Amino acid sequence: MKSSTEYAHYDDEKLISLIVQMQEGALTQLYERYSRVIFSLALAIVNDQATAEEVTLDVFLRVWQKAASYRAEQAKVSTWLTHIARHHAIDVLRRRAARPDQYAVNLDDTTFNGEFSEQDPQEFAELSMMRERVHAALAKLPKDQKQTLVLAYFGGYTQHQIAEKLKQPIGTVKTRLRLALQKLREFLREEQEIEDKSVEAASAYNITKEER
Amino acid sequence: MSDEAHVLDLLPAYAIGGLDANEARLVEEHLLSCWICRAELASFQDVVGQLSLAVPAAVPPADLKDRLLQRVQTARSPQPISVPHSERSWLERLLPVWGLASFALIILLGVFNLSLWQRLNHLEFFTAPGGMRAVPLSSPEAAPGASGFVLISADGDEGALVVDGLPPLGESQQYQVWLLRDGQRTSGAVFSTDENSYGGTRIKVSGSLLEYSGVSITVEPFGGSSQPTGTNVLGGLLFNP
Repeated sequence: MKSSTEYAHYDDEKLISLIVQMQEGALTQLYERYSRVIFSLALAIVNDQATAEEVTLDVFLRVWQKAASYRAEQAKVSTWLTHIARHHAIDVLRRRAARPDQYAVNLDDTTFNGEFSEQDPQEFAELSMMRERVHAALAKLPKDQKQTLVLAYFGGYTQHQIAEKLKQPIGTVKTRLRLALQKLREFLREEQEIEDKSVEAASAYNITKEER
Repeated sequence: MSDEAHVLDLLPAYAIGGLDANEARLVEEHLLSCWICRAELASFQDVVGQLSLAVPAAVPPADLKDRLLQRVQTARSPQPISVPHSERSWLERLLPVWGLASFALIILLGVFNLSLWQRLNHLEFFTAPGGMRAVPLSSPEAAPGASGFVLISADGDEGALVVDGLPPLGESQQYQVWLLRDGQRTSGAVFSTDENSYGGTRIKVSGSLLEYSGVSITVEPFGGSSQPTGTNVLGGLLFNP
């Protein structure tokens, strides 16, 4: 049997392939990596601690049972997990007919509600950087595009439903949603490039320093 | 191919699940044969995936991991029969629709044995001895976690479908199988799934299944529709057009 340290060295796709082989250690490792992200997302959507816990459990149980349906060529493991979590959380709201008209989710809120002592410091730092990158990109979006994005992402509303809710022409909503995602993609790429250049500059500086 | 022929403008909304059923189906059918749009979609899905990081960060309770492992233990506890329940369901549904007369199917069952479902899920495309093909289906935005495959006999005259992860619909709806050829959709079967979200059916179309390029499954009113009207929940490329 592999130790937890061994699983920690595997990438996400390898963990999925081991989960297909029913290795609980691989599932535990995947849980360690993504439970915070999944739980945070579920909590933001359902706005209830107990329901968010159930959604999180269901997501990982589903991974345990359906890992073989994961297609690496279609999406990264993290994208697959958040996709399942988001849909499941929205389904819970739909079943309860409890989707709010307005979302209290504040995408500009970067506060951290809880302990992170168990998390690997490097993973925590990387996650923090990714969070900052997403917030920086979102901050550049016009308010109306962000509002449309929030309703589609957290509420699971279609463009037509959003148009009805906001009393806006469907064409306007379509344009806002398309532009919002196109801009986000562009902004995230820019943020990534800035980050990559900083890392390159830092490592070049360190090499120069060592050579002196 | 011109931009008009692609569905590039619809991809951002598709990635976030914002399209209506008709638009989503249009996108999914196009994606079956367009790698350019598939790559574009992947980049938007990545962006949508990153939105999960925009919410305030919270930490699940410490005991949640133990609760998960308890459920895993329950889920993997031994079944009264040595064949896992999911595969029994699979066989129970597949065998009546196809019949044991198919020698190729017997070979397939023998080859894959107990881990049939999981192994089939790993296949990109499989041709069994005797020429029978197993084509895996993938789930679009509307049904994450759903999976299935189509079995087609060597001569293309017989086809069967088995799905997993498609929840049972209400009394007023059923799933319907569509075969795609030259942009036209032909109904292949109407079926329901059980309480375990498993289902299967024989696929019947005029002519050989080898003449069709793709397959999709939609949610339709009970008894089926003449043309698809509902959400697309599974799809796949049968053969290269």
